[in-house]
Amino acid sequence: MPEVRTVLELENICKTFPAVKALNNVSMSVKSGEVRGLVGENGAGKSTLIKIITGAYTKDSGSMLFEGKDIGRNSPLISKGLGIYAVYQDVMVTPDLTVAENFFLGHQPRIGPFINWKKMYRESEKFLDEIGLEINIHKSIKELSIAESEMIAICKALWQKPKLVIFDEPTAVLTRSETKILFKIIEDLKKRGTAIIYISHNLEEVFEVCDTVTVLKDGATVGTYTTEELGNVDKLIPLMVGRSIEEMYHKTATKTGQELLKVENLTGKKFENISFNVKSGEVVGLFGLVGAGRTEIARAIFGVDHFVEGKIVVKGSEAAIKKPKDALNNGIGYLPEDRRKQGIFLQQDIDFNLNIINFDKAMRGGIINYGKAHAQARDYVEKLSIKIGSIYQPISQLSGGNQQKVIIARWLCKNPDVLIFDEPTVGIDVGTKSEIYRLFGDILNSGKGIILISSYLPELMGVSDRIYVISNGKMAAEVQKKDFSEEYLLTLAMKNLVSKEKIKEAV
Amino acid sequence: MAGKKEKKAFAERNLLIILVVMWVFLAIATKGNFSSWDNITNLIRQSSINGVVAIGMTLIIITGGIDLSVGSIVGLSGMVYAIMTSTRGDFKLSSFWGIIIALAVGALVGLINAVAIHDGKVPAFIATLGMMTLVRGIVMYVSSGRMVTGVPTEYRQFAVAEFLGIPALAWTWILLALVMMFVLKYTKFGRNLYAIGSNEEAARLSGINIRFNMYAFYVVAALFSGIAGLMLGTRMAAGVPTGGQGYELDAIASVVIGGASLSGGVGTILGTALGALIIQTIRNGGNLLGVDPFIMQIVIGAIIILAVFFDQFIKSRKKGEGLKKLFKRV
Repeated sequence: MPEVRTVLELENICKTFPAVKALNNVSMSVKSGEVRGLVGENGAGKSTLIKIITGAYTKDSGSMLFEGKDIGRNSPLISKGLGIYAVYQDVMVTPDLTVAENFFLGHQPRIGPFINWKKMYRESEKFLDEIGLEINIHKSIKELSIAESEMIAICKALWQKPKLVIFDEPTAVLTRSETKILFKIIEDLKKRGTAIIYISHNLEEVFEVCDTVTVLKDGATVGTYTTEELGNVDKLIPLMVGRSIEEMYHKTATKTGQELLKVENLTGKKFENISFNVKSGEVVGLFGLVGAGRTEIARAIFGVDHFVEGKIVVKGSEAAIKKPKDALNNGIGYLPEDRRKQGIFLQQDIDFNLNIINFDKAMRGGIINYGKAHAQARDYVEKLSIKIGSIYQPISQLSGGNQQKVIIARWLCKNPDVLIFDEPTVGIDVGTKSEIYRLFGDILNSGKGIILISSYLPELMGVSDRIYVISNGKMAAEVQKKDFSEEYLLTLAMKNLVSKEKIKEAV
Repeated sequence: MAGKKEKKAFAERNLLIILVVMWVFLAIATKGNFSSWDNITNLIRQSSINGVVAIGMTLIIITGGIDLSVGSIVGLSGMVYAIMTSTRGDFKLSSFWGIIIALAVGALVGLINAVAIHDGKVPAFIATLGMMTLVRGIVMYVSSGRMVTGVPTEYRQFAVAEFLGIPALAWTWILLALVMMFVLKYTKFGRNLYAIGSNEEAARLSGINIRFNMYAFYVVAALFSGIAGLMLGTRMAAGVPTGGQGYELDAIASVVIGGASLSGGVGTILGTALGALIIQTIRNGGNLLGVDPFIMQIVIGAIIILAVFFDQFIKSRKKGEGLKKLFKRV
């Protein structure tokens, strides 16, 4: 193992944006071969700090030392030259090029002026083999799944033999088996003496993979701890927000009442014979591995995709749902999983984003009454305690967590009988998460029902009253609250798995 | 209150300032010729036909699309009217039916555009480029490439008619612009336009019927081109086979100078109207100053690029990134 030295040293970094002090005297140092977790609520300053390290932002004051040298002026190019690589949530690879081409982008092997395709393919294959990824290097990126293309983005960073790798929420879209491969990659990097900064809202993961954790809160460092001295997640959360995990999942008991929604033998392209129901006052969880068909079922119920067979019964009578509008009219709402691609209207303001499905409530004779529309927007912004300057602010200026709250506000204002939440807390900080769970309580208390789709088991088990497990497009089981356990649910989820996945799982 | 409302007003205020500065400069430079009532009403009349086409173009650009067929639709509608009503033609219909048929034919072209783009998944640029050529071909064919005269007198008189000292053509533009400003802000049709333009998938998941709305946007845009075609016809007092040729470019330029984004979701009718006036002011002022019309063309081209450049500049300056960094690095 190479000798341990300090790779990155940050001292008293400050950064102020108009109206916000994003970083206030942040200091931290990372050694070679160390995996450093960076945690904190949304808006704590993690992203800003990373952008200063990679040179996307310039710091106002403080110093940054890399391998003992003071880096005065930084830029993305300079930091790359130093060997600093960041893997972002947003996959940044060129979608039309093949996997191999992406690896070699900008430094293709050549014979004279021509590209040496053979060498390129051979070396790419060898590289993926070493890592243990089974991806066809001749495929273009757009043919890959989101998870696969993210793995490629990660591999691309490794390809450059970096000295410091920053992972920003790398597992948000990865399956469990892919996450395992990622952790193996991190392990390898460690052995080679690479320093790693690992950002994740999934704190269990942080404990699994990190040696040390730096906690940021409101732009300042709370402290740096070894994962050993912390012991478990319950110790970490109070440092971030001052709230324990039990409090977060707190749920007031509600009485379950009439059946609001019943799905019978629903069969579509990616699922078959799905039957389940939702009663008022309960949260019904849908669990399954990524690709099991949960989202597809939700989309079919909401009328986005067509289903082949089966029926949807709303409050006892069959509903003809052929398009989202029909679902809305039948009192069904759907909060999609990809907030950025499917949820927000980025160029528009908060008012627009909140009211787009609620203008009906503020209309007379086909004409929007903006007095009413603005009032209902303000009302819900206040109810959900969304931190904003004004409702005329572009939604793009908000943090991810607050954007998600605006979309939830949109649906709460619409007030459907059954609201489907598809991965509502992915990439959202602990504080906002607990507020979202609190809102669940409000929804249930008003006699509505919730369908929750989540890959994060502690959340799903904590919030749901019953969980339906979908395995490879088929209903595996309905599990009651008293029988919830991670092992049991995962076993059910893998029940109908094809062998290929099993092989992957064994890696 | 900070935020979008102020920012939007800000962008249009800049355009207004530019326009006023240009007007004051021209008034002085032409020793008052420019600012004469006659010239100002003339300027607005000259802007009005492009202005009406540009209203439709604004809708299409907000959807994130583009419509290159508008100029051909202008020609088509003017020609259809002339053929239907000409006293020397086969139909000899009244002005009323001439207008109805001309607009219906124009709207039909818009509908075909929409079907090709939404259902056929043909990129808007290609679909409307094809349609531009196709429709112009139809206009040439039905007219045998010749002017069609003999249109009703009231049609010809409309071009010179005035109300409160302002030309009827200008009124047509002003009224249509005001109506569309209202529609975009105060109806679901308008809100759906911005929703689909900023994020089609999110709009679909909000229960918005994408197909119906896309059809509507293209049909409405074509209707505006159809109206512009009739306006042009009244000035020409005939159906002109080359009528409206190149109008798509002026319309796009007006929309872009007006602050719309070609990637969709952003744009206003007021901005577009100011954009149309700015373009016409350069032409009109250049004329009065005796600037070579070829030079005028160079200036207008440069202004289109500069307008977008400054828009990007302001946006990137707001993020504290962009140009500043570029200059630093150099």
